[in-house]
Amino acid sequence: MSKLEIHDILYKVEKPARYLGNELNSVHKQIDEKTVRFAFCFPDIYEIGMSHLGMQILYHLLNSQENVFCERVFSPAVDMEEEMRKNNIPLFGLESREAIKNFDFVGFTLQYELSYTNILNMLDLGEIPLFSKDRGENDPFVVVGGPCAYNPEPIADFCDIVLLGEGEELLVEIMEVYKQFKNTDYKRVEFLEKIASIQGVYIPAFYDVRYNEEGIIEAITPNNPNAPQKLTKRIIQNLDEVFYPEEILVPYINIVHDRVMLEVFRGCSRGCRFCQAGMIYRPVREKGFDRLKYLTEKLLSNTGYEEISLSSLSTSDYSNLDKLVRHLIDDYEKDKVGVSLPSLRLDNFTFELIQEIQKVRKTGLTFAPEAGSQRLRDVINKGVTEEDLTNAVEKAFDLGWSSVKLYFMIGLPTETLDDLDGIKELAFDVVGIYYQTDKEKRGKGLNVTVSASTFVPKPFTPFQWEPQDGLEEIYSKQRHLVEKLKRKNITFNYHDAKTSLLEGVFARGDRRLSKVLAEALKAGCKFDGWNEHFNFSRWMEVFQTCDVDPVFYANRRREYDEILPWEHIDVGVTKQFLIRENEKAKAGELTQDCRTDCSGCGVNHGFIGGIC
Amino acid sequence: MYKIRSRFTKKGDLIFISHLDLVRVFERAMRRANIPISYSQGFNPHPIMAFATALGVGVTSEAEYIDIQLDEKIELNDFIDRINAVMPDGLKIIKSKYIESTEDSLMAILKRSIYLVKVNLISELKEEFIIEQLSKFIDNEEIIEIKEKKKKNKDRYKRERNKVQETNIRPLINELMLFSVQGKELILKMNLVTGSVGNLKPETVMRKLEELTEIPMLLDSVRINRLELLKEQKGQFVELMEE
Ligand code: SF4
Repeated sequence: MSKLEIHDILYKVEKPARYLGNELNSVHKQIDEKTVRFAFCFPDIYEIGMSHLGMQILYHLLNSQENVFCERVFSPAVDMEEEMRKNNIPLFGLESREAIKNFDFVGFTLQYELSYTNILNMLDLGEIPLFSKDRGENDPFVVVGGPCAYNPEPIADFCDIVLLGEGEELLVEIMEVYKQFKNTDYKRVEFLEKIASIQGVYIPAFYDVRYNEEGIIEAITPNNPNAPQKLTKRIIQNLDEVFYPEEILVPYINIVHDRVMLEVFRGCSRGCRFCQAGMIYRPVREKGFDRLKYLTEKLLSNTGYEEISLSSLSTSDYSNLDKLVRHLIDDYEKDKVGVSLPSLRLDNFTFELIQEIQKVRKTGLTFAPEAGSQRLRDVINKGVTEEDLTNAVEKAFDLGWSSVKLYFMIGLPTETLDDLDGIKELAFDVVGIYYQTDKEKRGKGLNVTVSASTFVPKPFTPFQWEPQDGLEEIYSKQRHLVEKLKRKNITFNYHDAKTSLLEGVFARGDRRLSKVLAEALKAGCKFDGWNEHFNFSRWMEVFQTCDVDPVFYANRRREYDEILPWEHIDVGVTKQFLIRENEKAKAGELTQDCRTDCSGCGVNHGFIGGIC
Repeated sequence: MYKIRSRFTKKGDLIFISHLDLVRVFERAMRRANIPISYSQGFNPHPIMAFATALGVGVTSEAEYIDIQLDEKIELNDFIDRINAVMPDGLKIIKSKYIESTEDSLMAILKRSIYLVKVNLISELKEEFIIEQLSKFIDNEEIIEIKEKKKKNKDRYKRERNKVQETNIRPLINELMLFSVQGKELILKMNLVTGSVGNLKPETVMRKLEELTEIPMLLDSVRINRLELLKEQKGQFVELMEE
């Protein structure tokens, strides 16, 4: 393989440091015929991809393996892509500057549906055949994983291998099998058949999907004797024993999360009904205090970072949070290391802790009630009351804060205008509380930001059968809120409903969408998650050309007995549990945090046993 | 409180990192090297350090300077070794010395920069011709650079016309000479005003040369190397750390 000459084009592009590949703690290995080459691709620009903890973990994990060399690849920005195409430079691994089409594996992490066109564009730029069926013996295996891989059907035709669940053990097992194949005279299908029986491996080509006249799935059946009937995800039993990097890549340029990210636990026990992460990452598994203390020491001294963030789905639920934060402050305050705690919940909002942190670095203050009325919060099982919010805000203003962000979703099942008015009332209450706070104490310049994203029903959640609000409904709800929230000190932000529609189509899509994606690539769709690139009318033309109706996927109610595109995939939570939760949602009944009271989601059967 | 002044080089791939990136690289290198650096007060404490001037992205430099403030005194060699051990390839401290805390900042004393600028010619030219063209260029009393000043407008959909600013860059060129020409590769040496009194970039000089002289060149191929930063001392221009 030869090194590509990119030096000259680096003079022509914006932020050339994105493409250097020699950042602190990057890995550069000697390459010989035994080296298994893995391209870890993140289908978005560098600043986003580098902020992703999963990439940092798997990059260092793979490189810790003998004879495996994992390199990073991000979507080149538009200017870089242009230069690459002009100069016939195919997509390359950042570390070696060699074309990824000659690698053994090209892996993509599926973090959000709107990155699918970027995946196709990267394959195209990499000169790798788009469709799995068109790949030859010398092409790399295209492998995908990550949260969207639980319903990989819309991109299944482009993938050779789908990895279900947590990858730390699974990837290593696959590398071990592959080492036995590499440099032998094997056929692609032989390798795929060999790994098909590993738990967590899904080979889409080994399954046929049949549809009925209404376009609803009739059956999903294996067509290869090595392919299991039911595919089950992988899960890591013990988070203290699992691999975690002791050094992470430190970029030159500013990225979205430019700090040490320390994973404190996986899973979430809250059971919010809209939340896919809360369902697919069950059950809760924590890292112990000692392990975290050790990792902190290593990570800070190996990176020189000035900030550490405790990462998880709901950091205030970490059972040793108090002890851990105090330790971080006591031991690292002298080095001016800041601590940030994302995803704090307002019901157990520990102000004392936040105040401690303020001594080192000031952090923003955000609350996520998600819905405006108690009724709707009960529907989605967000166990937060108005009182929780007002108490927390009162305290915050008392302590000198003056800017508060409130996050909501619109388009939730059963939502009415009354629920939207609840958003207004909450926001106005917050303003009222500010003016009631002692002038001496409160900060200057009140700023309440209300953000409303559009709800998109996701697979493996209790709302997976629900129709997503149509564009017109969302528009009118947004207009309603714009009117209601016109007030000094309140800023209202909302998402573009069109991108949410597209997200909804692909979230619950099936294999027939692959031709839509291929067509979208031809039409020039990419970076759909970026406002400046997203082109809705072009997408609608693509759907029309392909004779696919987005409404069928996004805005249609499914029956409980409908075979869903992800029916053959088992993520642990059972269908019965999801149905039960959906029914409880309709009745406005709450489900307890499953740390106190197991709600019988099913993940303790066969997956992990013992913990729950 | 102690202050160390150092000279360092920026080469190789590291020329592609911006000035802000460089600041972060230094901050983090200092932490990894366990240098007892002083921090600013306030909510977002920052290591106290100051550079002479920012270097453009893509420019190589033999002569960058930084002042770093420490809480404890450490051996200079130790300081250099520890930082260089954790610096990425391409960044290297060449020399350091302690300075008085009352000493003028690097930014304040900086007056001039010396650059080598390489460019590809469209056709081969005789040395004499280039020299003649350069002296014609330098003989101009005025060389006007027109700069569009972008209006910082929050609403990017409102298109307001940008203001145009004209500057005579001739007084900012102290020296411009032929360094070498081999085939189509031309190298110029220039001494330009830099710092608080004025700031002329070699790219601008090249653009003007292309526009005003008969030296046909490919501006895309311009490669710049900063050789020296100079201060004024007893009527002489000398390197910034000269005693
Ligand atoms: S089995 Fe029970 S305790 Fe375990 S994740 Fe599911 S609901 Fe929670």
